[in-house]
Amino acid sequence: MAEKFDNLEEHLEKFIENIRQLGIIVSDFQPSSQAVLNQKLNFMISGLQDIDKCQKQLHDINVPLEVFEYIDQGRNPQLYTKECLERALARNEQVKGKIDTMTKFKSLLISELSKVFPEEMAKYKDIREEDGPS
Amino acid sequence: MTEMFSTLFGQNEAQGPPGSSSLGFGPGKPPPPIPQNQVSMAAQMPPQLVDEGPALRKSGAMNEPFYLLRELPVGNELTGNTNLITHYNLEHAYNKFCGKKVKEKLSNFLPELPGMIDCPGTQDGSSLRSLIDKPPVCGNSFSPLTGASLTGFRLHTGPLPEQYRLMHIQPPKKKSKHKHKHHRPQDPLPQETPSDSDPKKKKKKRDDDPDRKKKKKDKKKKKNRHSPDHPGLTGSQPSSNSLR
Repeated sequence: MAEKFDNLEEHLEKFIENIRQLGIIVSDFQPSSQAVLNQKLNFMISGLQDIDKCQKQLHDINVPLEVFEYIDQGRNPQLYTKECLERALARNEQVKGKIDTMTKFKSLLISELSKVFPEEMAKYKDIREEDGPS
Repeated sequence: MTEMFSTLFGQNEAQGPPGSSSLGFGPGKPPPPIPQNQVSMAAQMPPQLVDEGPALRKSGAMNEPFYLLRELPVGNELTGNTNLITHYNLEHAYNKFCGKKVKEKLSNFLPELPGMIDCPGTQDGSSLRSLIDKPPVCGNSFSPLTGASLTGFRLHTGPLPEQYRLMHIQPPKKKSKHKHKHHRPQDPLPQETPSDSDPKKKKKKRDDDPDRKKKKKDKKKKKNRHSPDHPGLTGSQPSSNSLR
């Protein structure tokens, strides 16, 4: 799994470095730099070909669209992961709280109903015991 | 308890005698008929919107005197009752991202990337969103440039106009903060070291210093020098060491 990303990462880094060098050549262009510029331009094309080839290996990777929003806003995409995890934990705790409360309510309701409707509740418990312990 | 139920199930009380039947425990009481409009609504709703809930138990003598008794949910079903982060072995990721402060800027995530990447992509049209919304019109393959097509890339000599020099702009790095940290302990040193040799110079420097706190500190230190019993001279503070 990590190899796929390493391969893409390597190609991206090479591509970015080539673009950076292109930028330096272009920013103060000298006539003698034309050959190097041509070479860098073709290297850029081969770099794009390499990156394009990587997509075959990464078909099963899904990226949430929200991550792109973070990147577009100049924010660290790790913040998205952080917020996702925090949200998941908070919701997890909320649901657990609800389940615990409902479990307490169930036991309290059964005990109170057993006081008022002892016969019916005994029958109810018999049925539930047939189903197995809850 | 019965009072509470009678207030909750007031309508049922009017239909029959209070007690077990009012709660639906009555032996032969059929479920209330569903109004016609509700049936048609349920039929019209798409299947994913109809909350069926747990399956109904088979009716008959088995369930008497109860009706609408549902099967209990399966115990081993994964719910929010379990810690899902632990369940999916995500503690490491949780500690990594939530244990310490994650830096806000994109340049902290991609420090090696040249250019000003912290600016919103919408400003210069470099957003990833625009790439999805309006994909570039291009062919499927990348072919290398031949000699003829490379003639289009012959450039004029000389530097680029300033507005196009985007590659040279780098986001401000936090070196300045480091400098501050380094300078703080160093700052008092040049003020205090010459104090023994030349008191006049020290006075001058004090006058130059705009910070009042430093002035007060210096005054205190001066006092300390005159009083040998003062704990400040025991050598516990780095500033007192430098004075000696």
